[in-house]
Amino acid sequence: MRKSHPIRRVVLATAATVSGVVLLLSLKPSSDPASASAAGAASSAAAAGQESPQGGTGAAGATTVDGDATQTQYGVVQVRLTVANGKIAQAQAIQAPKGGTSDQKTALSVPQLNKETVAAQSANIDSVSGATYTSTGYKQSLQSALDKLKEAAASSSSGSSSSSGSSSSSGSAQAQAKTVTGQVAQTQYGPVQVRITVSGGKITKAEAVQAPSGGTSDQKTALSVPKLNQEAVAAGNASIDSVSGATYTSTGYKQSLQSALDQAGG
Amino acid sequence: MTTTLAGGRAARRQTMRRIRPRRSPAVPLLLAVWAGAAAVLWLWWHNTPSIADQNGKILNAGRITGLLAGYLMALVVLQMARVPALERRVGSDRVARWHAMSGRYTLCLVFAHVFLIMWGYALQAGKTLNDIVQQTIDSVNQLPDMGKAAIGTGLFVVIGLTSIGPVRRRMPYDTWYHVHLLTYAAVFLTFWHQITTGNDFALTPMAKTFWYGLYGVVTALVVWYRILTPIRLNLRHRMRVEAVIEETPGIVSVLIGGRKLHRMGAEAGQFFRWRFMAPGMRFSSHPYSLSAAPRPDMLRITVKAIGDHSARLRELRPGTKVWAEGPYGAMTASRRSRGKVLLVAGGVGITPMRALFETLPGAAGDLTLLYRANTTQDLALWDELAKIANERGARLMYAVNSPEGERPDISAENLQRKIPDIDNHDVFMCGPPGFAQGVYEALRGAGVPARRIHHESFEM
Repeated sequence: MRKSHPIRRVVLATAATVSGVVLLLSLKPSSDPASASAAGAASSAAAAGQESPQGGTGAAGATTVDGDATQTQYGVVQVRLTVANGKIAQAQAIQAPKGGTSDQKTALSVPQLNKETVAAQSANIDSVSGATYTSTGYKQSLQSALDKLKEAAASSSSGSSSSSGSSSSSGSAQAQAKTVTGQVAQTQYGPVQVRITVSGGKITKAEAVQAPSGGTSDQKTALSVPKLNQEAVAAGNASIDSVSGATYTSTGYKQSLQSALDQAGG
Repeated sequence: MTTTLAGGRAARRQTMRRIRPRRSPAVPLLLAVWAGAAAVLWLWWHNTPSIADQNGKILNAGRITGLLAGYLMALVVLQMARVPALERRVGSDRVARWHAMSGRYTLCLVFAHVFLIMWGYALQAGKTLNDIVQQTIDSVNQLPDMGKAAIGTGLFVVIGLTSIGPVRRRMPYDTWYHVHLLTYAAVFLTFWHQITTGNDFALTPMAKTFWYGLYGVVTALVVWYRILTPIRLNLRHRMRVEAVIEETPGIVSVLIGGRKLHRMGAEAGQFFRWRFMAPGMRFSSHPYSLSAAPRPDMLRITVKAIGDHSARLRELRPGTKVWAEGPYGAMTASRRSRGKVLLVAGGVGITPMRALFETLPGAAGDLTLLYRANTTQDLALWDELAKIANERGARLMYAVNSPEGERPDISAENLQRKIPDIDNHDVFMCGPPGFAQGVYEALRGAGVPARRIHHESFEM
């Protein structure tokens, strides 16, 4: 029965909501400190990859082993282990989901998973909550790396490991034109797979051998794929713009394109 | 003399033993609502490690408003599910006010969410705020379940517009009511995009489970209490109009017969939503209080002919089938915390007061009824009240305008003079809003604490 003040109530509710939302937004860091270190780790992994394209070189008793590339809903995860004196000295993700919120999730989860792996010395590690898919993919890839280590130890003793990741072993570069088909990238609407023709170190042609179909996906595919093909040829690499309105397809396309480029580049 | 006094004291003790004031569950319920809102915000917080730029801020503001809107929407529907704990313990009037308030707030959140998310997507696609319309069309076409969500949001716009005060007052009640029922469709249509496109539900499968749980429980409660419970009630009790009696010019009582009516658990002070199966009346139900304690074979409502519906009640024929939902309302004896009770009625607000006057336990001198009307002719049910007062040893007072049309002065001083220990009373009050507001202030001035003034008001 207290007197009601409708206008006061509206003003109060609006002010409280707006300031609450602004406060929440401003409390979030503008860039995650973990993402910088993750980026660092990724680039060092890339550097390591260039030095040892075959994936498994032994240097001073340390061995690196790459796990299988594992498909997750949000992209590919691949783990590289550095083993020294029979122990996992270092774990890194040489591939992890990218783009959109995946960047955040990767930045959040990968460093933690790396740490856990070194601590556990096995694939029996906790998933990072909020990055379940990435964690699951990570664990699968990690397990395959550990399996390879075991095999290598069993077949024994040739000093340097011969195991290598599945994605880094294929094809060496040729001067002639060749076609390379990228890995299938799963998207929410269906698989995307890209085939590129490379000639003289350049992409001369890009096409999607698989793309989402059915329902609105037909329209989206018709809309986006030709554009993505063009962009891929123009850019010569996988850093192309997503087609707005077909974000998932674009992301999948870029993933598959990247894997094709990886293979072409050997 | 001594024996009567002792008897009076014993009777009073007897009464006090029966008084167990039940606390309204409003405070724990509100705490639970806030805790839920905090959990929803935590979900967002947990899934958002950082926000890179302006665009991210807009998108995340859209996510926060969307999550809160989705959460509150379930509660807005829950408030109208006629859950007994809300209707009978918190009070139908209070819950209806919560519903109106939270409904408006939630719709504002929905519209803010749509605007912010589409703006954010437009920026993400390298466009500007000016392209928001095109962006919205694209998103509706391309994202899963967004077509449904767009239709649902359109319904929300219509529902929101028809619920704005001046618009609603100009509309027939039935039209407004049937438009308002579209809320269920709108909530259903907008639910699915939350699950399929919601960032936080993709990242936290557990949250998805909770969301299904929240909406599932609300749906179950609506189906149970709004559909199944009334069907069972009416199949069991088979109510019909027995007679229509003109009490005073413009005020009629409707006697309603049925089977085992005492089994409905209705108490004095409560009301039902009535639907009379007569031409022009069967499509809308209206809340009317019981104006007498329920009897096993008979209920009575007393209604003033103010609207279309209540004016038609006069023409009801005996034998007309009645569909009732209830009992609802929290203004019952269980609100009482003191031995002494003052009942205040304004005009046709006498109906629940009349029932309480008859049934509230109390010794002689414990009960007082103050009845305000324009003239003595307008004091409906006066003869019954006088009889009850006489039998129970209760006080009955009335206040009417003077022959010159001067209004009686119901002030703190006057109340204190008539009822010296008024600050030791529970007060039950029913009347038009202006009257109720005036009496409330006078009672507070006379020292009655707010928690002991029990009032029901269906004004928004």
